Amino acid sequence: MTPHRPRRVLITGVSNPLGAEVARRLAPQVPQLFGCDVADPVSALEEMDFVHADTRLSVIGKLVRQLRIDTVVHLAVMVDSPHDERSIHETDVIGTMNVLVGCSGPASPVRRLVVKSSQAIYGAGAHDPSFFTEEMVNWDRPASGITRDPLEMEQLVSEFSLRTEACGVTVLRLGFRVSEDTSLARYLSLPIVPVFAGFDPRLQLLHEDDAAEAIVRAVVDDHQGAFNVAGDGVVLLSQAIDIMGGRSTPVLPPFGRWLSRLGLRALARIELPAYLADMLAFGSVMDCARLAAEFEWKPAYSSRQAMDALAAGKNVELIEAPSPRQEYELQVYLQQRRRRALRLSN
Amino acid sequence: MIETTARERRTKSQKAEIVAPRQGLRLPRPIRRLRRNAPMYAVQGLSALSTRLRELTGREVIDVGKVMEVVQFIYQQRELARRGPHYAVDDFGFDPQWTESFLTAFKVLYRDYWRVETTGVEHVPSSGRALLVANHAGVLPWDGTMIKTAVFAEHPHPRHVRALVASQFMGMPVMSWFLRRTGQAVGHPDDTRRLLARDELVLVFPEGTRGTGKSFKNRYRLTRFGRGGFVATAIRAQAPIIPVSVVGSEEIYPMLGDLGPVAKLFGLPYFPVTPFWPWLGPLGMIPLPSKWRIQFHPPVDVRELPVHAAEDQHLVMALADEVRDTIQRGIYHNLKLRRGVFL
Repeated sequence: MTPHRPRRVLITGVSNPLGAEVARRLAPQVPQLFGCDVADPVSALEEMDFVHADTRLSVIGKLVRQLRIDTVVHLAVMVDSPHDERSIHETDVIGTMNVLVGCSGPASPVRRLVVKSSQAIYGAGAHDPSFFTEEMVNWDRPASGITRDPLEMEQLVSEFSLRTEACGVTVLRLGFRVSEDTSLARYLSLPIVPVFAGFDPRLQLLHEDDAAEAIVRAVVDDHQGAFNVAGDGVVLLSQAIDIMGGRSTPVLPPFGRWLSRLGLRALARIELPAYLADMLAFGSVMDCARLAAEFEWKPAYSSRQAMDALAAGKNVELIEAPSPRQEYELQVYLQQRRRRALRLSN
Repeated sequence: MIETTARERRTKSQKAEIVAPRQGLRLPRPIRRLRRNAPMYAVQGLSALSTRLRELTGREVIDVGKVMEVVQFIYQQRELARRGPHYAVDDFGFDPQWTESFLTAFKVLYRDYWRVETTGVEHVPSSGRALLVANHAGVLPWDGTMIKTAVFAEHPHPRHVRALVASQFMGMPVMSWFLRRTGQAVGHPDDTRRLLARDELVLVFPEGTRGTGKSFKNRYRLTRFGRGGFVATAIRAQAPIIPVSVVGSEEIYPMLGDLGPVAKLFGLPYFPVTPFWPWLGPLGMIPLPSKWRIQFHPPVDVRELPVHAAEDQHLVMALADEVRDTIQRGIYHNLKLRRGVFL
């Protein structure tokens, strides 16, 4: 069988920042790019056709067949979002089910499916090994709500990949990201960070650029199976807080984590999902050896560098260094160019 | 660009790295200098006093070496506090610099409190992987810290031993933090494999909590050695097994009874009752100063075995029993060499 080359690619959930970045990087590499989401796209992309479509409805299957999509990049999976539990479940589990149904069937044109999953699938606990390999998902662990959703979602995906031999399935378990708007980043950026007393877990982080790059590589090349994607090395929670310039205060009781989550929501307005609270007590680190071997690529940012990048972003408005004249003119020129490009695309 | 002096840069810079001098009341310069040099003057005075006392009494009254160790420890801690977030830990969360500073504290326990006598440390390889297998006793895992200290302090090439601990401890506050920081990993076959693959020295207690939680009347009687998993892991990793006998750890907390229901309530493997715990509260947690001996035995070389021998359950159990017998014999031998429990 000749290796499949992606020709007509559909990205679901293209309006979130990661989806937009993936679309931007994929645009020059594939002949036909389609994107769908319920919300408007965050950035205009000339090479991409945008469709308003809800993955929770069967319209997605019609879309796949009508457009003769051969590669589906399913990014409409919410792991860390401000939505309520019910709508996250609807999107993650029911939405994925719909996408899979749309891709299945003997007449389906889809030959490759890339699904975004999360490190949250492994959970975090005292009894877990120090590193999670791809086989170590504990499918039977007691979990409810948001913690249960990635498990259910991946179960659906693995059933699909068993049933549909014609379609190669890649599942990317992305590590926790600390771009400006994730819960973890907001938590770490607090001036006084409440931490679980007596715990200093290891954090493994993934830079936004690397997440997009991993997805693009999974689309362009053929790598089937599940892959852990995260930066090299670890950062201790206390180190991360130090890097952000905060002060860690061990005030959260180590037991009864739901109470701490409630307190954080009320006092700091930070929604800490259950899996994140577990991770902040016990830590969760993945083994990304399979990614390095199969993709022959590894994330450019280590966990430490991802943390430094977040801190650098935070410090940007603090530094009032006057830039030299050429730099200023360069900025003005780039801005003008951006505006012109935007006007052209409108 | 406008030229600025160093002083202007310091006061105007907004970068966090450069901290402007603290404003407010400053002490006069001679007093500041005195404050900075005070520790040095104190040590100098103490060494002079020590020499004088030695001349007067003919004995070593103040051991300057030990005092210097304490001073060194305090300085190390200050240095560590100063490094901020600029240090690296390995993937397991091990911070060698921090651990080494703590080992100086453990060395005092090792040398002066339990007066550990270590033999056969030359059997520990100075490089490459090896699996240390030891008997486990005493309610808290002090024997692990002492084996770590023994290898670090007595071996010609000081090495860090990475012990495997029961996962219950990883769920305990402070404990989990301290164990990870000092290089321990979870007692999971995958962790053992990874550490051995990185050519580390791995310490394992196959008895687990059965060993630490046994009552005082069963002291120095080895319990079951798990299911021989450590042998299978060693064969797969092609790592020699080094049996280690520890004598003295049984007497640090003479465990008279076990309050099972209380243990269950706190999620602990056992809740010990000793002559001092829980009657004296935190004081009961001070271990007794028994006399310790640690013996490292010649390695059991499993490297000539093929890797698939790990599947041979019969061979694995036979090797596990051999290791167990070596440790048991070593315990009896060292008990004979010891003159008394506290001598």
